Amino acid sequence: MTERLTVPLTMDLSWQYASGAAMERFCNGLQARRIEALRCGGCGRRYLPPRPMCGDCRLRLTQWVPVGDEGRLEAWTIVHLPILDGRTGETRPSPYGMGLIRLDGADTTLNHFLVESEPARLRIGLRVKAVWRKELLGAMDDILHFEVLP
Amino acid sequence: MRPVAIIGTGQTQHARCRDDLSQPELVREACLAALHDADVPPSDVDAVLISNMELFEGRAMPELWVGEAAFAARKPCMKVATGGTSGTSGCIAGFHQVASGLFDVVLVVGFEKHSEGHTQTGMALTDPFWDRAVASGALGNFALSVSQYMAERGVTEQHAAEVAVKARRNASNNPHAHLQMPDLTTDAVLSSRMLAHPLRLLDMCPQSDGACAIVIACETEARRRCARPAWVKAAVTRHDQPYLGDLGNRLAEMRTLREAARVAYEKAGIQQPLRDLDVAEIYEPVTYAELAWYEALGFCTDGDAGRLIEEGVTTMQGELPVNPSGGVLSTNPVGASGVIRVAEAALQIHGRGGERQVDGVRTALATGYGVYAWADAIILGEALQ
Repeated sequence: MTERLTVPLTMDLSWQYASGAAMERFCNGLQARRIEALRCGGCGRRYLPPRPMCGDCRLRLTQWVPVGDEGRLEAWTIVHLPILDGRTGETRPSPYGMGLIRLDGADTTLNHFLVESEPARLRIGLRVKAVWRKELLGAMDDILHFEVLP
Repeated sequence: MRPVAIIGTGQTQHARCRDDLSQPELVREACLAALHDADVPPSDVDAVLISNMELFEGRAMPELWVGEAAFAARKPCMKVATGGTSGTSGCIAGFHQVASGLFDVVLVVGFEKHSEGHTQTGMALTDPFWDRAVASGALGNFALSVSQYMAERGVTEQHAAEVAVKARRNASNNPHAHLQMPDLTTDAVLSSRMLAHPLRLLDMCPQSDGACAIVIACETEARRRCARPAWVKAAVTRHDQPYLGDLGNRLAEMRTLREAARVAYEKAGIQQPLRDLDVAEIYEPVTYAELAWYEALGFCTDGDAGRLIEEGVTTMQGELPVNPSGGVLSTNPVGASGVIRVAEAALQIHGRGGERQVDGVRTALATGYGVYAWADAIILGEALQ
């Protein structure tokens, strides 16, 4: 059989996204290790990421509430497959831990990396704490990962 | 609203790589098969709907590139792109076009050629501020949800392995299915490679190249052209909040699918789904999702899905066969997968299921699932009233 004709293409692209006022305040807060959520005046739900509107109540959100950098592990996994980083296009080394963390003072969960030297002890309900980057840049990865509290 | 029926279905041979055909050729193959099945010449098609996740193949406006192959030149043509629900939502849009009286005959075609793109890139391009730094594709999201679901509902890796075996055995009755593993055992599933704890290779759907099409018609056209039309009894779609962290215990709660099913059952007069449905084609990209959907779709109470698979209730010989086609676990060209669910449900009503036909199907359910944020429920029946 003859080789089929295919066209290989490679591209180097970049994008720039506007944050909106709520996300701007949130990112600026990260630079001071401050995490804030927006609370819905209807259902009382404290939303992370903060956004202008509650989808359930269709109400505008304006009430900022403080959130801690510790929380409860709501779900966890260890990813063994090389996964693409959606910001850089580079593949992340594996294996690595991931968790859904309900930060103290928030009602939604945060999807983030989890570092644990004894993975066998990972379970839902553990208390975890954010490990911050030394030089804060005002982005989500100012939190490097979460670790389990003793 | 006018009555609407599916009068023909067609699909390609699905495989890891269909480099024998270009994307338009793949689409054309499915469309021709559906039009032939419905005995409708291309000139009688009033409008065309295309379902495809364009970022997966890395080229814009797929409806432009494949529209002609779908016989859409000089006709109304639209695209639907809502993740895994692209196909079911495309079908629902077509039902609405015919029900409203806008068109009499509509062709819906869904397709994906994962082998030509970067599916993981498409999945990684989430909210750039919030979770893109850590997002780990469909796999990471499923794994997190499954850890919650297992803890809350007591399902085990063994239950999931039984779902994997059922799907791949059913697929061996389906000549179009991508994975052909008739001799698969639960031991083989449980010893397959760990991808993201607790998900193993054989817990996951493949990435497939493939296309599937259906022909939708109004009552007059359906009665004129089809001996046994599959009438649309209900078609419901639901959307949810954007961030995965908004949705609590995602697999266990799955409020989009629960709400879509509740409304669809009410419209179609389904009181006890396990008793009143004869077959179901549900969108299960991972074994554990099938178990969660048993609960969300009311096939059993919450916490009872493990028993359903243990007792064989959803096998070909069981009370409610689920996914005689082999499901998404055996074939997943994403844009096509929802159309395949609807086409396979219609095929069962048409009585043209071949080796995968369930005896005496009068009522069939098809569902779609898109990243927790979308769910579709469609009920087809052999009788209009």
